[in-house]
Amino acid sequence: MPINFYGYGPRLLEGALLTAELAVLSLILALALGLLAASAKLSRSGPLRVLATIYSTAIRGVPELVLMMLLFYGGQIGVNMLTDRINAWAGTDYFINLNPFAAGVITLGVIYGAYMCETFRGAFLAVDSGQIEAAKAYGMSEWLAFRRVRFPLMMRHALPGLNNNWMVLLKATALVSIIGLTDMVRIADQATKATHLPFLFLIPVGLGYLAITTVSEIGVAWLRRRYDTGFNTDGA
Amino acid sequence: MTESYTPLVVRDLHKSFNGNPVLEGLSLEAHVGDVITLIGSSGSGKSTFLRCMNLLEIPNEGDVIVHGEPVKFCVKRGERHPADWKQVERIRGKLSMVFQGFNLWAHMTLIGNVIEAPVHVLGLSKKEARERGMALLERVGLADRADYFPAQLSGGQAQRGAIARALAMEPEVMLFDEPTSALDPELVGDVLKVMRELADEGRTMVVVTHEMDFARDVSSQVIYLHKGQIAEAGKPGDILEKPGTPQLKQFLGPRF
Repeated sequence: MPINFYGYGPRLLEGALLTAELAVLSLILALALGLLAASAKLSRSGPLRVLATIYSTAIRGVPELVLMMLLFYGGQIGVNMLTDRINAWAGTDYFINLNPFAAGVITLGVIYGAYMCETFRGAFLAVDSGQIEAAKAYGMSEWLAFRRVRFPLMMRHALPGLNNNWMVLLKATALVSIIGLTDMVRIADQATKATHLPFLFLIPVGLGYLAITTVSEIGVAWLRRRYDTGFNTDGA
Repeated sequence: MTESYTPLVVRDLHKSFNGNPVLEGLSLEAHVGDVITLIGSSGSGKSTFLRCMNLLEIPNEGDVIVHGEPVKFCVKRGERHPADWKQVERIRGKLSMVFQGFNLWAHMTLIGNVIEAPVHVLGLSKKEARERGMALLERVGLADRADYFPAQLSGGQAQRGAIARALAMEPEVMLFDEPTSALDPELVGDVLKVMRELADEGRTMVVVTHEMDFARDVSSQVIYLHKGQIAEAGKPGDILEKPGTPQLKQFLGPRF
């Protein structure tokens, strides 16, 4: 029996797609930033350590919502100030509109990068130092030792935390509706206001998130098996 | 080609940790085929000495010269660093180390461990490295364990595997850092047997050990360290049979 979504069905699907895209792109950015910040925190360079500590402390201490509004509105004002300067100097008339999707990806990526940083840092520290020492002793460069030894061993410790961060990130994408992005929450909200049928729209939205997390659990299970190689020895 | 190079020369090495001197002017020369054992009580600096040779610890003073090539150092903000890490990596590739705790890479199979550095550091093809690696595992009696992970091996097997990994680099000098200290007594013999065979075939080795029988029977030179200094050095027949210092007498036990 097909459910009547009062014409909102296709838009809900579009919204779900936007949620998924936003979440995946933010995740990639967050992982990259987290890895960089964790490496900086553990590096021998004092300034890098300070910078990374400020990043992870400041970002984790401020609500996502505030940061998102700050970046979206403040970001636009900042871009405008910059283009005004350039226009005044060069006599041109440029205007750059900060795309809400990009703003959403950047904000979520920057915020969750700070959480990923802490997860990665803990995981790096959990790797037995003898493993890294052996890599050095056999003539590996820092990068090679990272790629072949430190990273694969670290991922085993990082995965549970990364998975947790990913779940929280996915659900935080709902916040982008406040900066004008039509994700599935915003569409459900519009539909509910128009039809006064909250269950009809909000339950599918909940199921939509559940569907994304279920699919991602399969991916995480695969990664877990991969990085457990050599540890879970009855499976070898 | 001249035969007269020296695989490893260490001159007047000093090392301190946080201002506490650990090594105070140690020197050593390993010629081709030498087996030099470093003995001494814990805290005497023997492991640190060994770790300075492949720059896992950076000596504060002194030279490390591998196959005629001195490691270049520079001083930055009062601290001594290698001037060229690429050089250090190249030199480390010539000095394979066998660790007390094996340190086989846990996420790779045994054969994966053996071919890892030959493929990624020396640039051998996987096929060639594998052939060589399997021959080495055969030598140390582990051919049937090639596809096992380190966690599935006994300590003795893991250490013999680690020796195969070291041999795969075709090193100038092999550095052994207490290779039998973490093993159950009944497993020590297998590892020592492999090491004796390596010595017999003319490998150049520097061995930190507590195995006095090994030091006596196998080494060409024994160096006794006490409080970061070379207290005695010489042929095992001399210094182990007729120790000159009261410290070594005490270290060797009630026989003296």
